[in-house]
Amino acid sequence: MLERRVLVTNRLGLHARAAAHLVRTASTFKSNIRLTRTDGSATADAKSILSVLLLAAARGTELLLTVEGKDEAAALAAVCELFECKFGEERV
Amino acid sequence: MSQASEQPTISVREFVERAPAQLSLRVLAGAVGLDERRITLPRIQKLGLALAGFTHYIHPGRVQIVGQSEIWYLGQLSPERRASAIELLALEQISCVLVTKDLLPPAEFIAAAERAALPLLQTPLVSSIAINLVTEFLEAMLAPRELRHGVLLDAYGVGVLLEGESGIGKSECALDLIGRGHRLVADDTVEVRRLGPEYLLGAAPDLLREHMEIRGLGIINIRDLYGVAALSGPKQIGLTIRFARWQQAQEVDRLGVDANSIEILGVRVPHVLLPVSPGRNLATLVETALRVHLLRVRGYNAAERLVARHTELLRAAERADVGANELNEREAADDGEAKAD
Repeated sequence: MLERRVLVTNRLGLHARAAAHLVRTASTFKSNIRLTRTDGSATADAKSILSVLLLAAARGTELLLTVEGKDEAAALAAVCELFECKFGEERV
Repeated sequence: MSQASEQPTISVREFVERAPAQLSLRVLAGAVGLDERRITLPRIQKLGLALAGFTHYIHPGRVQIVGQSEIWYLGQLSPERRASAIELLALEQISCVLVTKDLLPPAEFIAAAERAALPLLQTPLVSSIAINLVTEFLEAMLAPRELRHGVLLDAYGVGVLLEGESGIGKSECALDLIGRGHRLVADDTVEVRRLGPEYLLGAAPDLLREHMEIRGLGIINIRDLYGVAALSGPKQIGLTIRFARWQQAQEVDRLGVDANSIEILGVRVPHVLLPVSPGRNLATLVETALRVHLLRVRGYNAAERLVARHTELLRAAERADVGANELNEREAADDGEAKAD
């Protein structure tokens, strides 16, 4: 199992379109991918759009990303990349 | 997937044979040209001004109408001027002439038509009624058309076109939907015609109407098996649904906020991409897609409303959260530095 902290830095937060982007990316991997608010108030399956929306991760929210499975390294890298590039919405 | 044909045309013979019975068309002269001359445009033209010498606007592919005023005009000309008026028409280039009200054109006109192999037709109807019938008939006959591989059903009053590669389960899904009380328009091949700028009509080819092919069962007749209420005639296409295997369906919509559409014969039609995999009941999904479509047509989008509520939630969280403010300040500082550089 791999873990990493990620920060929501894009202007609109983890809003619906960003969430859809995340879910599409996560769904291409076999591994279990979870995002948990560091205050422990919510946790989400990154392959489920409704669950990701329920995180209500606004700009500045810190999330714990956990990935477990055969392709966990690749999945972790891909998801982190999405957060880093602000879901491809803004110039970095 | 689809097979488009260029702008269709019909021969004058097809026009004479297939036009509405009320027109009771008769061929007065020029029968030799019936097969060769073709009608390419649905709108008619009146020969009026052309007889007076203004022949520039004669469209070769249109039906030329000759009514009472044209016949009177020709009748009051001197024989020489009449002959030259008829000669100026260049009858070789006209598709056909239709005389209304059972009027008899001057003998010179009939002879000229015969010489030029120009079909000269006659109808007992008055011009206004004949023109309506001819235009309506030709618009249907000459509408741009395309054959599409798919199944067309009439469900909840909406014509829904199911598409997807062979063997993906379109017909089986259609059978499921027929079992639930929806109606079949066409299986396997759908003839689509564009009857207006936004109006696509789908129908079954004559031969296949009422039939389906189900792998393992062969060809079945829906009227025999389900009764006449399971069938529908030609139907306007309101929604298209494409079945795709999961792997090919990378771009599947997870939110459903955006309305997708595809183009058929230049008309945009709402479109849904449905991934197919074991355990997904396609008939239920199609019915649900239709219900969603009906709500959207009436201005209600559930996904949009949920997303709006979510956005509101994020804004409230951001206002309350220090993390966001810190980020804002840091970025503002970065911007300041960038400008200083």
